[in-house]
Amino acid sequence: MLSYLIFFITVAAILSIATLGLNLQWGVSGQFNAGVVGFLAVGGYGMAILTMPVSEQLIVRLNWPFAVGIMGALVVSGIVALLVGLATLRLRSDYLAIATFGIASSIQVLANNLEPLTGGSRGLVGIPRPFESMGAQAVGYGYLVIVLCVLAVVYAGLQALLRSPWGRVQRALREDEVVCAALGKNVVRFRLTAFVMGAMLMGLSGALYAGFIGTTSPSEFMPILTFQIWAMLIVGGSGSNAGAIAGSFVIWGLWTASGAVIVSVLPPQWQAQGGALQSILVGLVLVLTLLLRPQGLLGPRLTA
Amino acid sequence: MTILNRWAALAATFLALASSQSFAQDCPKLGGVLALTGAQGAIGKVIADAGRLAVEQVNKAGGVKGCQVEFILRDDTTQPSVGVDAARFLVDVQKVNAIVGLVGSGTALAVVNSVTVPNKIPVVGCCAVTPALTKMAEEGKTGGYWFRTIPTARTMALAHAKAVVDRGYKKTVIMYINNDFGNGVAPDAKVAIEKMGGKVVGIIGYAENQPSYRSDVTKALALEPDSLVLIGLSADGTIVLREWFSLGGTQNVVLHNTMRSMDVIKGIGERFLTKAVGIDNGQASGPSADAFNRDFQAAYSRPAVGPGLHTMYDATAITLLAMQAAPKLDGPSIRDALRAVQDPAGLEVGPGVEGLKKGLDALKAGKKIRYVGATGGFRFDKNGDVNGPMLVWKLSNGEIVTDSNITLDEMQALSTKAGF
Repeated sequence: MLSYLIFFITVAAILSIATLGLNLQWGVSGQFNAGVVGFLAVGGYGMAILTMPVSEQLIVRLNWPFAVGIMGALVVSGIVALLVGLATLRLRSDYLAIATFGIASSIQVLANNLEPLTGGSRGLVGIPRPFESMGAQAVGYGYLVIVLCVLAVVYAGLQALLRSPWGRVQRALREDEVVCAALGKNVVRFRLTAFVMGAMLMGLSGALYAGFIGTTSPSEFMPILTFQIWAMLIVGGSGSNAGAIAGSFVIWGLWTASGAVIVSVLPPQWQAQGGALQSILVGLVLVLTLLLRPQGLLGPRLTA
Repeated sequence: MTILNRWAALAATFLALASSQSFAQDCPKLGGVLALTGAQGAIGKVIADAGRLAVEQVNKAGGVKGCQVEFILRDDTTQPSVGVDAARFLVDVQKVNAIVGLVGSGTALAVVNSVTVPNKIPVVGCCAVTPALTKMAEEGKTGGYWFRTIPTARTMALAHAKAVVDRGYKKTVIMYINNDFGNGVAPDAKVAIEKMGGKVVGIIGYAENQPSYRSDVTKALALEPDSLVLIGLSADGTIVLREWFSLGGTQNVVLHNTMRSMDVIKGIGERFLTKAVGIDNGQASGPSADAFNRDFQAAYSRPAVGPGLHTMYDATAITLLAMQAAPKLDGPSIRDALRAVQDPAGLEVGPGVEGLKKGLDALKAGKKIRYVGATGGFRFDKNGDVNGPMLVWKLSNGEIVTDSNITLDEMQALSTKAGF
């Protein structure tokens, strides 16, 4: 039980880093990114390619240490986000959503086809995990500590950023761009920095996940993951960093625990249908949140 | 009352979860991870039925180690991260002794690499064909805990090569679907054809779920091939062939087993396929396969047709036999027992309640057995993969008939020739 709890907290904490990234983009800056999974993929593959040991399936042979892999993944996802941000500079709300959704799908297709770099549809196997030589338990505990430290640093940084003048401008921008521009703020630069920083956090999350599981493949990065992370943010409370983290634990817990409960409660012949219950349940929680507590679990109070 | 029971079961589960580490267990538990919903849900649900049938039959035959086997099946929703979580829960909390199933290759990779190998839990896969797992095994990264009952992509590739070379085709083009299935077969098919004396002028991958493949077909035709090897699924394969023939492509085509259905053939047009041949597993026939087909029909009132049914039944049945054969219910013992129940000198036992009872009784009496399953006779190689006989089929008077069989010995010879 304990080892499963450690595993669960690790995964939920990794996902909450991506949710924090989305919170920066949507909750703080008001940019609708429907391509979260694309940046997770960039981070995950970046991590894999930089740290994988020499293998015949890859043309790149770096085998860099874990920390460099994480840094590299941050840089790569930052660059990709900058390009995406520049390309979608003039797009707002639903147009931005469609564009980012398309970009995420393109990234997934690229991962499926750039075989010498990404292993194609076979994926990449054998990403070195820290503490691996010390046994399965050490991997579990060690990785949990790493992830929680990263999460703490990210959270503290974002909290400071939110309280800073920069954060105030972002919130003002979310409410009214024209006013901000009239006050002499560089709207383009503010929007772009928030987008890139949010995407880098998503890349960080993808890199941590790839380093934890030790494999990566295109099937990891389907649009459902974008939906899950959005659900985490909405339920947790868009605009609140603590809410983003809480939402991640709640939704991921619901998603996985419902599977276990269904198996123990439903008779076998209904279990196949029970699987669909999982999505219904998360959808229900999402709708109920929007109806009964639109600000989310820990979201900032909404003022009319 | 039943509702009350279910809540009681739920409460009991949580109690058991809380205390599961405190007492040792002697009764075997089998975990299953399958895609019951999501993109692969349509095939996964039926595969799950085949697995349940094997567990029910073993339990009717007296169970394993004097217990009724508990089969805990989890849905991976076709998402690798959910599959990993389900496998972790099965291993860490529910303490299963082995896991069967795994449809998607991405899920299989992640589960084997991060959950079952570090925890020394044997996994017998039913459906994932990815060569990446063979490679992991070759590099010693699976610790011998990974097995599968589905013939690997290489077996298919060899059969394609033999069909091409036997017909004397000299300029072959390979078209394949660009997913883990197509990518698994196509490169090996190219190597095998060339090692056997044929020539591949082009190997062209195409994307899944497209309304038209005209541009890919045009590219292939520009190479002026005298034959086409098509490694696709039935839907995209039908579109590719329609466009291939309408653009004047050769009728010398070699098809995959995914197209071995009269519906598919009629969708393309029989008159274009008089020279066409296809390949398939030579296993899914014979008395042991018939026994499974009969039982499946009786249990679920539907024919045992579809991907993964026979392999899932065998994966489940052989794992349970191995649990009976294993001196202890720990990972290494079950791993070794999975090979022991395939003893060539052992008593032949097959699917069905009676066949499994024969096997379980023989094991209890300390005898050796050889399991011949719903997919016929098979044997795990050193990487946990199975090799098996293949067949070549063709059309004759509006029916699909067997053109020739490739025996297990021939397959082994071909494998050596291709350098696999």
